[in-house]
Amino acid sequence: MGDLWAWLIFFFTLIALLIILVYQLMCLADLEFDYINPYDSASKINKVVLPEFITQGVLCFLFLVTGHWVMSLLSVPYLYYNVRLYTRRQHLVDVTEIFNLLNWEKKQRLFKLGYVIFLLFMSLFWMIFNALEDDDHSL
Amino acid sequence: MGTENPKHPTYQLRPAATPFAAPQSATPFVSSGPVVGSEASAFRPAPPSSQIPTPPFSSGPLVGLEAPAPGYRPPSLGRSNEIVRPPPPPPSSLANGPPLTGPFQRFPAPQFTTTGQVPAPHTFGQPAVLPPTRPPGGAISSPPVSLQPYPQPSPISMGSSPQNIKTGQSSMSFPPSSDQPFSPPRPNVQPSSPPMGPSYPIARGNFQPPFPGYASLQPNTVAQAPGQPDSFSSQHGGYGPPAPQIPFLAQQRGYMPVPPVPPVSAPTGLYARDQMQHYGIAPPIATSQGLAEDFNSLSLGSVPGSFNTGLDPAALPRPLEGDVEPKSFAEMYPMNCSSRYLRLTTSGIPNSQSLASRWHVPLGAVVCPLAEAPDGEEVPIVNFATTGIIRCRRCRTYVNPYVTFADHGRKWRCNICSFLNDVPGDYFAHLDASGRRVDLDQRPELTKGSVEFIAPAEYMVRPPMPPSYIFLIDASISAVKSGMLEVVAQTIKSCLDNLPGYPRTQIGFITFDSTIHFYNMKSSLMQPQMMVVSDLDDIFIPLPDDLLVNLSESRNVVDAFLDSLPSMFKGSMNVESAFGPALKAAFMVMSQLGGKLLIFQNTLPSLGAGRLRLRGDDIRVYGTDKEHALRLPEDPFYKQMAADFTKYQIAVNLYAFSDKYTDVASLGTLAKYTGGQVYYYPSFQSTIHGEKLRHELTRDLTRETAWEAVMRIRCGKGVRFTSYHGNFMLRSTDLIALPAVDCDKAYAAQLSLEETLLTTQSVYFQVALLYTSSSGERRIRVHTAEAPVVADLGEMYRLADTGAIISLFSRLAIEKTLSYKLEEARNAIQLRIVKALREYRNLYAVQHRLSGRMIYPESLKFLPLYGLALCKSTPLRGGYADVQLDERCAAGFTMMALPVKNLLKLLYPSLFRVDDHLLETEEFHNILKKRLPLTSGSLDTSGLYIYDDGFRFVIWFGMSLLPGIARNLLGEDFAADYSMVTLSEHDNDMSRKLMRILKKPAVLIAILTGFYNYTDKSNKKRNILFHDPDDSIDSRQPPVMVN
Repeated sequence: MGDLWAWLIFFFTLIALLIILVYQLMCLADLEFDYINPYDSASKINKVVLPEFITQGVLCFLFLVTGHWVMSLLSVPYLYYNVRLYTRRQHLVDVTEIFNLLNWEKKQRLFKLGYVIFLLFMSLFWMIFNALEDDDHSL
Repeated sequence: MGTENPKHPTYQLRPAATPFAAPQSATPFVSSGPVVGSEASAFRPAPPSSQIPTPPFSSGPLVGLEAPAPGYRPPSLGRSNEIVRPPPPPPSSLANGPPLTGPFQRFPAPQFTTTGQVPAPHTFGQPAVLPPTRPPGGAISSPPVSLQPYPQPSPISMGSSPQNIKTGQSSMSFPPSSDQPFSPPRPNVQPSSPPMGPSYPIARGNFQPPFPGYASLQPNTVAQAPGQPDSFSSQHGGYGPPAPQIPFLAQQRGYMPVPPVPPVSAPTGLYARDQMQHYGIAPPIATSQGLAEDFNSLSLGSVPGSFNTGLDPAALPRPLEGDVEPKSFAEMYPMNCSSRYLRLTTSGIPNSQSLASRWHVPLGAVVCPLAEAPDGEEVPIVNFATTGIIRCRRCRTYVNPYVTFADHGRKWRCNICSFLNDVPGDYFAHLDASGRRVDLDQRPELTKGSVEFIAPAEYMVRPPMPPSYIFLIDASISAVKSGMLEVVAQTIKSCLDNLPGYPRTQIGFITFDSTIHFYNMKSSLMQPQMMVVSDLDDIFIPLPDDLLVNLSESRNVVDAFLDSLPSMFKGSMNVESAFGPALKAAFMVMSQLGGKLLIFQNTLPSLGAGRLRLRGDDIRVYGTDKEHALRLPEDPFYKQMAADFTKYQIAVNLYAFSDKYTDVASLGTLAKYTGGQVYYYPSFQSTIHGEKLRHELTRDLTRETAWEAVMRIRCGKGVRFTSYHGNFMLRSTDLIALPAVDCDKAYAAQLSLEETLLTTQSVYFQVALLYTSSSGERRIRVHTAEAPVVADLGEMYRLADTGAIISLFSRLAIEKTLSYKLEEARNAIQLRIVKALREYRNLYAVQHRLSGRMIYPESLKFLPLYGLALCKSTPLRGGYADVQLDERCAAGFTMMALPVKNLLKLLYPSLFRVDDHLLETEEFHNILKKRLPLTSGSLDTSGLYIYDDGFRFVIWFGMSLLPGIARNLLGEDFAADYSMVTLSEHDNDMSRKLMRILKKPAVLIAILTGFYNYTDKSNKKRNILFHDPDDSIDSRQPPVMVN
């Protein structure tokens, strides 16, 4: 039963991650279509960059401590990438160059999004799997 | 085209002729128009026949023919045309160039593709083709029509027929040709040809056999192997079999002497060299003419008897005239804005992406919206007081000379998006019979490419700001010691009367060392009050209102302040610099109003936010993959500040003076993103550099400046500006934010094609700069230009603009140095230039045996040289040891903002010899006309030279210069160490004269010593030795060697 709860937590963490990424992408898209100015866009995005990193780190850690090492392994590349960005101080969007980097920033976030969705489905699968298993046991 | 098959040979000729003309004008371009003339038409105004593309072809019978015709190969046509043509290029003489191009271009692709043909086509592709086609004898006449490139089948008659036509009838169709110098050949040709015509059928029969032979020969010719003469003659023979040949040759020879056509650079070199030797007979007349008119070439082969392989340095074309803008284009489009404001890298916009991809040079524009206009050409100001500014409703384009009026003047059609707009009632005017508005002559916006509209209130987010200047001055010990403080104070004071915007101008001062000093300049005070803030972590402004004051009201206080400024810090021993906090303080003072912030910075920021490390002194980083990081700002603080400055309409100009590393890369970011400028005076000493600083600061303060500006470049459908390069910040994808702009700033943008095929005839560009003038008026400056869409690469090359290309290249390369090694940035430029020239060579080289020669279009004749100069310019030169990091970065920031002309002057400075003038044997203005090439060979030990790159003068005293001159110029101590000498006016004629020459803005900062000494001043050596063949050859050779 505990496992099911764990999977539920993972699931919602992933949803949170997803929302953060979509929000960033929206800001970038708005910028591209000139709905907001680069200053607002950059500050909005930068505000959620660290939360995103932290959420992801926590998730990875949770996977590990709950013994789901396969899932943990799967999310390690993402974590590594984030850490690398952070240590190189490239994690924040640069207001002055935002238009030149727009495509790159978008691409990067789209990849992340795809990755998170993949993880989401994995965890969904495990969650349901676990739920069914529990059912079996209860029977 | 050949509408009907000629019934009689003679007739044939005729029809052919007409068809010919038609094809030229019409389709050729797109379809690969084999026809020679076609290209000309594409662009050229010349072609008589308007562009009526396909219709002619449509004729049924012809069509069939056409197919074959293609086979016959453009080449053949080209060929035949060429040869025959030499004289005739139908269009104006100018046109000659293009026609040739046409054929050639086709050549490359088709020829090779159809290998078999290749040989023949060239020399006489026609003949080869002919055989097959023969059968359709009647068809022959039509062939000319066959614009189609490939189809071999029918090519047959085409080749021959055109010739006939030309030769025989050419007089009719191309009367002009006869006039030309080549006319001699003509006569010969004609005679031969006429017979041909009639004999056609026969001739063919005869020919065929020969052709095979030719084919084999031709390869040679193509390759330019020896033996050409033979092949050549044979080719000619192709025409009219045997007999004609001889005359031809004769002609050629006759020509030979003549050939050196003016345009050809180094004519002697060309002909004299290998080719002549090898062939005995130079390329056929046609070829030489082609060379002359279509492109230039340089011989790279070794000169017999000399060890020096490579090109003869003396033969290199050098831009001794300075930047020459393409004139013909401006004449073609008189309503375009002047090239001062907008220059395209090529005025021929490619019509397809595939064509664009073959143009290896960047496609783009360099815009200098506020360029200084000479007297009499000022931009007219238009006030649409009542109607509001007329703009397209859909794409927001401003009304311009290229809009068309319709519906009796009630509607106007936008030239950029083709949207039909209503004409406001107040702006209505009737149209005359030709569709022009009757009030055209009173409407500068409808006749001039550049206009300025007075913007109504909708274009303001706040009342127009007054010009305001804040000076942020370093007052640490080194600033005082170097004399910077004094020079700056004096200069500012001397400029107070000339600051733009009197009487609204606002001014304020902040100084800083380890603390920040504010000055209360309230007009009621007699003396300024100084307030010191030492809390660097939490900056506050002691007085909210009286730090930035109206200059005209507080003039006395400001004067008093500037007088006392140098003495105020005289005893200071402070070595710290709280630059970051001071910057924040300045930001707080200015954020209400915006304006210009001039920073005088002497010490590496060491306190508070934004402090910097001596990272440039760490030698280990140099030469590694991380070296480029040194050219990037270290602390995000500066980028963030720059972004905030731009947001609040503050432009930053940075004056850096330090004698040590000051991290210009970080500090310069402030200027980069705020539309400002970086001035760097390494190891500033007021005695040496004071004059330069004074001059530059004066110009900065007094030039006409536009405030709180935004700029956008619009362009027609199908093309789009994808990236912008220069000192500014983008506010949205295509909106450039410029807190302050002036005439010394230019911006570059790169274009890309959005659609695979452009169907329009021309593309329009419109630059709109919305700004507040110093007088407090909101204005929109609009520059409009039209550029034709072309289908042919040769045309793009012909309309290329070296200045714009180099300007764009320099910006791309400098940006590249920020993320790659210097070497990669240099290689990227060289590679692109080589590719461009190779592509061009492929258009032509095959026919003209040009091996061992570099060919280039007239429009790009200086491109290789400027490319080299660029690679040797301060930001890109050598390795890390060749230029100080700070100097490199500062030069990079400067070059990112320079207008085309200034950039070219910086890259290829002028060098004059002045001792003759000083001795009164020569007139002053004559001297300035005699620019010398920048080679060590230009320097004579007994001369006195001035070298001027627009930023400084270098005066070079030859070792054996008459002592009298040196004494007069330098005073009695001239014999001492030259490096200690300062140049000042002495009381004698000679000295005064020299000073008059130097009166031009810029100042001497260096005096070079004896003749050999210059070599160890790497700095100067570079410039002066710039063109040594050893230096230049390696990068030049590749284009030539490529086949």
